[in-house]
Amino acid sequence: MKISLDWLREYVAWEDTPAELAAKLTAAGLNVEGIEEYRQSFPGVVVARVVHREQHPNADRLSLCRVDDGSGAEVQVVCGAPNVREGLTVLFAQVGAVLPGNFKIKKSKIRGVESFGMICSASELELSAEGDGIMELATELPAGTSADEIYGFTDTVLDIEVTPNRPDWLSHVGVAREVAAIYGTKVSMPYKWNSQQSGENLGVKVQIEDYGDCRRFTAYGIQNAVRGPSPKWMQDRLRAIGSRPINNLVDITNYVMFELGQPMHAYDRAKLSGGVITIKRAEAGLTVQTLDDQERKLDEGTLLICDEAGPIGLAGVMGLANTEVGPETTEILLESGFFDPMLVRQASRGLGLLSEASYRFERGADWDMVETAALRALYLFQELAEARIVPDWADRGDPDYRPAPDIPLRVWQVSRLLGAEISTDQAAQYLQALGLKVQPMGNPGAVSANAVNMMVKVPSFRRDLHQEVDLIEEIVRSHGLDNLGGGDFRGGAGGVPADRDLQLRKARTWFAACGYHELVTSSFMGEKDHEHLGLPEEDIRRETISVINPHHGGDTRLRTVLLPSLLQVARRNVNAGAALPLRLFQINRTYLPAGEKRPDMKREDEALLPEEPLFLQFALIGSREVGMGGVPADLLEIKGTVEALATFLRVPLAVEPVGTERWLQDGAQWRIVADDQVVGTAGRVVADIAGNFEVEVPVAVAEINLDRLALRPLPLKYEGFARYPAIKRDLSLLVPGAVRYGTIRDKVQEVGGPLLRRVDLFDIYRGQGVPEGFGAYGIRLKFSSAKGSLKGKAVDKAIEGIIRGLKEGLGIEQRV
Amino acid sequence: MKETIDRLRSDGGERIAAADTPAGIEALRVALLGRKGEVTLLLRGLKDVPADERPAMGAALNRLKVELGELLDARQQELAGGASGEAVEMDLTLPGTPPCPVGTNHPLVSVLESICDIFYGMGFSRGEGPEVELDYYNFTALNFPDDHPARDIQDTFYINDKVCLRTQTSPVQVRYMERREPPLACVFPGRVYRNETADASHSAEFYQIEGLVVDTDISMADLKNTVDTFVRNFFGAAEPTRFRPHYFPFTEPSVEVDMQCVVCRGKGCGVCGQTGWLEIMGAGMVHPNVLKGAGYPEDKYTGFAFGMGIDRIAMLKYGIDDIRLLYENDLRFLNQFRGVL
Ligand SMILES: [Zn+2]
Repeated sequence: MKISLDWLREYVAWEDTPAELAAKLTAAGLNVEGIEEYRQSFPGVVVARVVHREQHPNADRLSLCRVDDGSGAEVQVVCGAPNVREGLTVLFAQVGAVLPGNFKIKKSKIRGVESFGMICSASELELSAEGDGIMELATELPAGTSADEIYGFTDTVLDIEVTPNRPDWLSHVGVAREVAAIYGTKVSMPYKWNSQQSGENLGVKVQIEDYGDCRRFTAYGIQNAVRGPSPKWMQDRLRAIGSRPINNLVDITNYVMFELGQPMHAYDRAKLSGGVITIKRAEAGLTVQTLDDQERKLDEGTLLICDEAGPIGLAGVMGLANTEVGPETTEILLESGFFDPMLVRQASRGLGLLSEASYRFERGADWDMVETAALRALYLFQELAEARIVPDWADRGDPDYRPAPDIPLRVWQVSRLLGAEISTDQAAQYLQALGLKVQPMGNPGAVSANAVNMMVKVPSFRRDLHQEVDLIEEIVRSHGLDNLGGGDFRGGAGGVPADRDLQLRKARTWFAACGYHELVTSSFMGEKDHEHLGLPEEDIRRETISVINPHHGGDTRLRTVLLPSLLQVARRNVNAGAALPLRLFQINRTYLPAGEKRPDMKREDEALLPEEPLFLQFALIGSREVGMGGVPADLLEIKGTVEALATFLRVPLAVEPVGTERWLQDGAQWRIVADDQVVGTAGRVVADIAGNFEVEVPVAVAEINLDRLALRPLPLKYEGFARYPAIKRDLSLLVPGAVRYGTIRDKVQEVGGPLLRRVDLFDIYRGQGVPEGFGAYGIRLKFSSAKGSLKGKAVDKAIEGIIRGLKEGLGIEQRV
Repeated sequence: MKETIDRLRSDGGERIAAADTPAGIEALRVALLGRKGEVTLLLRGLKDVPADERPAMGAALNRLKVELGELLDARQQELAGGASGEAVEMDLTLPGTPPCPVGTNHPLVSVLESICDIFYGMGFSRGEGPEVELDYYNFTALNFPDDHPARDIQDTFYINDKVCLRTQTSPVQVRYMERREPPLACVFPGRVYRNETADASHSAEFYQIEGLVVDTDISMADLKNTVDTFVRNFFGAAEPTRFRPHYFPFTEPSVEVDMQCVVCRGKGCGVCGQTGWLEIMGAGMVHPNVLKGAGYPEDKYTGFAFGMGIDRIAMLKYGIDDIRLLYENDLRFLNQFRGVL
């Protein structure tokens, strides 16, 4: 809300700079977001007199004039206005003047005749929206006087952020009330029409079909209004707050809206059919033409103002073209009402018609202000448009309307909630300064638990006050938030992070230390993601939820898999020339409507919510190295990373060489298992699928569903270890191509005897010296005993057993 | 002063050459270049030198400092070589090989975690809740009137008329209270959604952290002290804060908290819109309707809640001028946060 300080001073006095006023308003909750110096000035535009006029030699509709602009010499100028004539006092833009819209006045040639400036119309100076022809001044000021002497205006305009609970602050008087409370002064309300109802009949009856839709509706008659420009002060103020003056009839209702916060509407009385105005809901299929000349189809149930022929206005939103006030209007019916905020909001949203009026009505009108504002407007019509006001009006309102009930206030509770000692007197003073009436209760000095110390009457402009805590907010606004606190935090015992949070933190720092980059990716998925991943129809991850009101062009569905987001980041960075291989990880959610429901639902409709499993995903991008046994190094690293992560987090993860994930290559994927439950997958992303996301380098990826994994670290209790030196032996084995290392390892452990501690594979060799179809595997065996130093003999015996076992069980020979 | 410099140059050189043990060299280093060394004292005395001579003197002194340092290093090396036998010849300027490349943690998550750390230290625990949320928890249970302009502050993505993407982490408060009796102190970080067009300062997805404290006599003074303690701990120095009355449906009284602009220190600049203040959080006393909705007896408990945008805090902390950078995951951006946990 823009507040003109010139305007504000009409209702309240203060002595402070604009910056100081702004700081105090901000501290009281009217956040001043900007302080603008407004200046209306017309450099180079002066008062001038038309000394001579003749027909332009080459154009019928142009005049050739000489004006006295006070410069000493008469100036020749071409003018196109029909009303230019000798003797006229005008505003003259000299060569070099700059008019609104950054229009620079230069010396020019018009139809072959030189012209040194321009005689101005009101619209060229943006002093009026209508009227042709140049301005005719009635001033005695000498030629050459700056136009600023007559039309200049400077002001300071505050831009105030108004929260939705305070529609009263959408007006200058509303803000003036706060200024008065801050400076301990009073608000003087503007003049109103002196209403004395007489026997004269307005001739209009109001019917309200449902008082829930329209709480109050008033209508007033205005006759013989003279249409013309508004007075300068009104135009200046409207312009200063960014509203364009049109003519007095339009400006008056606008001005009063910004002054008092109540929007009103003027109908051309002559265009109304019949004498009954009805406020009712629209039937289905109605189309109307609004004031902005748009045909609009209305939703059923839109609240309408109707005369006996049909709709004449959309309540609280906009009038209709059929009853518009125009130049021919002689008699006006002025409407001031109180419409249901929710209906106004639905109508304005449904029609895409956000007006100053709907903005205020949807925040709620003020019962008393409905009438006050109308009477204020009538006064202005009488004063500024020479109108006659019909001394009778229609006023219909909900007979059950009651002012808001008084609110009891316990000063004990004020001090308790604020953490500051507030006395009964202080509390009462703060509230009274804001225009609330206070009725003391009981013994005013007795501030004890739950004792009510006063009853507070709520004025109609403060419908946001419902209960005690609302009054406490008013008290603290006045008391000043700066005067609270200042001590140390009153803390309890230190909070302890949950296991899960600690484990996730460990994981993410560990990944960073291992060279991985952490990603934060969007919850939304691309339209073709599932197709690109080759997810079959029956996969539960095909079922998605969508937002029904996405932003234009935005994705609508929430992701059910993380891989596309990872590939997208990979593509971006590979294309940007990042060094390969690239290690990426993310801990993010997916959204599965077909997933499991929350176990601890408090409300039945929580069954509507999706499962939101949290995944850890990590990937190695663009590695082409070959590892042991010809297996790609990135696959071995991914597997090793899962295992190392399990060790580091102390969780029981196992990697098994089977899997059926659709986007992972057959034969190149593992499943990750914890406590006999599959919790994740790892492997090589199918090249074509990566290609669908424009990633043309190898991708090895693993992901773990953290919600399926008990993240609590395995318990730890120290056990003794063998202090006697271990014996290491290397074996070279000739392994047939079909035998997997895992089988060899299991066999060695099975037959290795009690002294065998470790089995490690350190080399695989194929080639010269090794028979075709075999590999030479180098394994290292470690033996030790807790009981004493090992004898070579015991180890030899174990080795013998291992060699025999491998030969008999797997047909593996020792290589000699 | 010029003479002193010249004297120190010749005399210092001689003293270094005369030193014959590593300990002697160290003692000389302290005597000449240490905190109270002769050269250091001269440098400190520069302020008393006439302004027109000061630059030349300063340059000469710095040159002297470098020369003496080199002499000390050289002599030290000579003495050491003599002590431990013959030197080996190898290129020690070859690049080092780290055990593994250095990765990064995402600044958003890092900031989120470091905020949690401060609150752990203040006795808070941590909770979370669903991102796809019932309209009931996101609005109704938080005292938002139906179809009221208060809902406009948060343009909402709807899944259907009962389910939306949470616009704030506040619904987690309600879920938390439904399951526990006070005393409570908990923070709720997480991802939230607003139906907004993305630009340098808006993202349709972002992160918030909400805090909640409920007990028998929690006051607004406690809220202020908590927020001040947080700001002091997170931003380091004692950044002044400012509390402004504001409006949120689920708190009353409500406030917004501003911190003095970290860029201009309150003088006014482009970052703070010339106000000298940066809005960092919304807060207030938990509305009685919300406490009642959680099933707590009337008047028994009071509490406060606060919430802040983690993206905004991260942007302020690191001077990030476009929120979209936080969601692009470009390594040229992320790599700048190496070593930030
Ligand atoms: Zn600043």
